Amino acid sequence: MTNATSVFQPMRYYIITLINNMLQIIQFKRYLLGIIFIFLTGIISPVLAQMPNDAIYMAKNTACLAVSYNTSSWDKYWENTLLRENLNIGTHTTQSAMAMLAVGISKNLNVIVGLPYVWTKASAGNLMGQHGVQDASGWLKYRFVNVNGFSLHAIAGASLPVGNYIPDFLPMSIGIQCKTATGRLLASYRNKPTGLYVTTSASYIFRSKIKIDRDTYQADGQLYASNMVSAPNAYDVSARLGYLKKAIQAEGFVEHGACDGGDNIRRNDMPFPTNNMKSTTVGVYAKFQPKNIGINARASRVIEGNNVGKSTAFMVGVLYQFRYLKKSESTKNIFKQ
Amino acid sequence: MKSIYKSNISRTLSLTGLVISFLIISSCSKTVDEPSASINTPSNMDAEAGKWKTYVLSSSSEIVVAEPKAVTSVEYLAEVKKLKETMAAITPQQRDQVNYWGAGAAYRWNEIGRELSARYNTPPASDKDGKYPIPDAANPLADPKFPFANPPYTARALAYLSVAQYDALVAAWNYKFKYNRKAPSKTDESVKAILPVTDLPSYPSEDAVVAEASFQILKAMFPGEVPFLEGKLAEHKNSRLYAGMNVESDIIAGDALGKAVGEKVMARAKADGMGAANNQAKTAEMIANAKVIGLTEVWLSQESPKRPPMLPTYGTVAPWNFDKATVVALRPLPPPALGSPEFQANMNELLDIAKKQTREQARIASFWSDGVGSYTPPGHWHRRAAILCHDNNFSEVRTARTFALLGTAMQDAGICCWDTKYYYYYPRPNQMSSKVKTSVGLPNFPSYTSGHSMFSGAGAEILAHIFPSEAEKLNAMALEASVSRMYGLIHYRFDCEVGLATGHKVGGYAVARAKTDGAE
Repeated sequence: MTNATSVFQPMRYYIITLINNMLQIIQFKRYLLGIIFIFLTGIISPVLAQMPNDAIYMAKNTACLAVSYNTSSWDKYWENTLLRENLNIGTHTTQSAMAMLAVGISKNLNVIVGLPYVWTKASAGNLMGQHGVQDASGWLKYRFVNVNGFSLHAIAGASLPVGNYIPDFLPMSIGIQCKTATGRLLASYRNKPTGLYVTTSASYIFRSKIKIDRDTYQADGQLYASNMVSAPNAYDVSARLGYLKKAIQAEGFVEHGACDGGDNIRRNDMPFPTNNMKSTTVGVYAKFQPKNIGINARASRVIEGNNVGKSTAFMVGVLYQFRYLKKSESTKNIFKQ
Repeated sequence: MKSIYKSNISRTLSLTGLVISFLIISSCSKTVDEPSASINTPSNMDAEAGKWKTYVLSSSSEIVVAEPKAVTSVEYLAEVKKLKETMAAITPQQRDQVNYWGAGAAYRWNEIGRELSARYNTPPASDKDGKYPIPDAANPLADPKFPFANPPYTARALAYLSVAQYDALVAAWNYKFKYNRKAPSKTDESVKAILPVTDLPSYPSEDAVVAEASFQILKAMFPGEVPFLEGKLAEHKNSRLYAGMNVESDIIAGDALGKAVGEKVMARAKADGMGAANNQAKTAEMIANAKVIGLTEVWLSQESPKRPPMLPTYGTVAPWNFDKATVVALRPLPPPALGSPEFQANMNELLDIAKKQTREQARIASFWSDGVGSYTPPGHWHRRAAILCHDNNFSEVRTARTFALLGTAMQDAGICCWDTKYYYYYPRPNQMSSKVKTSVGLPNFPSYTSGHSMFSGAGAEILAHIFPSEAEKLNAMALEASVSRMYGLIHYRFDCEVGLATGHKVGGYAVARAKTDGAE
């Protein structure tokens, strides 16, 4: 778990971004959560040492449990392309607590699962904060090339809503009730002597239609007579540059995520799951895991976007790695880059 | 060992692949299936509808429609020939248009009216000085767009739309049976109409009448949508030619009649007092009066910056089914005094919901929210009426009558509700306790009584009369719409209960009219 977040948070970010985008407007707070969620869903969060967006693997028969707290907030958001404040929301905050487990099936195949609990609030106005268990996510990470520090990874993820939360009360909703499937390619190079690495990734996220409580809604400039809403698919890309050696990992990253279609927030109206949420995020991530117990932290900022909050997010997490099957091998260095 | 390892992997991967493919397939379709209304096949052509009571027209013969050419005339035969040529050249897209409009003329234009209401239902954003610019009818597509189609505005727009359609159709029915010119497929067997043909005389065209009357109202109510509406108007009229349902002179006569009726109905609209419905200067007087009758804390906008209350003098707009004195007579008794035990009990109920709103309460609140970006509660009930008329195979004129009875009842309910709201100027629960937050959005006008409750009471009352077998369901819907405002945490129970009861009373006036308008 600890080793690493790979450079590749981009996908995840992307996903996060996507999800976030969707959620952000309403849920910018959620955004962080969203990130977490996303992570889970394919838009995973950065907390884990070993995540769907990095090139780090748990060794066979070992696992890492990560518990993280995320907070994301914004006091400005992009209504379509207009960056604005909303005095009837004030500062929107999304917090989440997330549990994530990464398991080494083999040295080249890891499974990651996660589940977040999310809560939102607005500092001004009359909108009711929402809270609950969001979406469970699962990932398979497979390294199919690993030569001289250069590696290629195929990552597949899926997410399913777990909580029966309201999907379209944005930006207060904790999620949008999409089922997602994510495909991601990740490439990484690590220079062993120096510990420096670079990771990039790109993902495509399929998103299911969702069901809302109303039997009519507006999207794409027209009125729908249905309770089914088509959330656009999404994609993300990311790049990370970092250092990973022994117990320490540190990186900087940039991520961009957007929807593959979708509409914009209408003038002075609230966000909706059909919105094309786009965002570009920059951030830093670090992890310290001298032994079985480790900690990690992340800070990020949305610098550009559409239909999302201009959010700032922080995460802190605790990591615990363990061997779930006795093996003759040494238990040392169970996280392998 | 190695081979086991490999097979495990490949099994895992193929399982994953399956899961992913399933997810991909199941999530790939981005098309949302909407119910598509079938072709309307009236079970009764309502041959006597030319004698039904009109709203604005003094009688069904007020607008003169000239006698058509005989079906044996050279002119008519030439029209039929041309019609056959048009039909022979129909494209698949035109065929789709025929089917779309075949669901019903009033049905489709009501739907268009609801859609425009939703698209224009956005409150203006505040400007840099913290002021809210007023939408400008002369510049409808600027920011803020004109109109802000809030519930009172939409209630009125749909009322006028429905009344114009109804009066125009009653007049059309009068001339249809007076001149009795049959449909082209009845006068010439070689005309194979695409839609079902009855014995209803086709001159003047009921579709052209509805299209033009609707166009006259909607272009006034939504002046930024004229090009869109012109497109719909042309498409609708042409669809009747593609379908072989009308010859051109049927359409032309219907155009003229529909336009004339639409203009007459708009003349009423221009003089109904709506132009003075946003008289903010009156609020000082209203607040003073509310204090005189005992209110200790008046309603204040909970928005930031404070937004002027919505249409404070809408209660003075001319009602349809009764006079202005009746608006005052229908005004309910005062709500409980703030701070009284009764008030506190109602407040405690909301504080309780605020603490533990259930998912079902949230669902009901959302289902009936009909807030910003929606067609509002009047639109919700018009949609219900449209579905019922269609399911019951109502004729065009009986469908329009249903809309008119409902639409006028809805606007009457809005007028009475707004009169009450600004008479008592009662604060929302959210003003009285910051612990009460909403899951549906907080309306910017006084609390007592609930607008949703009044609209829904009136809507259920008239629709239950027209569709007695649905009465129980409709009344349950109205009750649910009413309590949804408590579940959404923006109204006290007494707002909802008194509003619902008053709404039923308002609807009763439309029922009284329905019993004597000649259609029952």
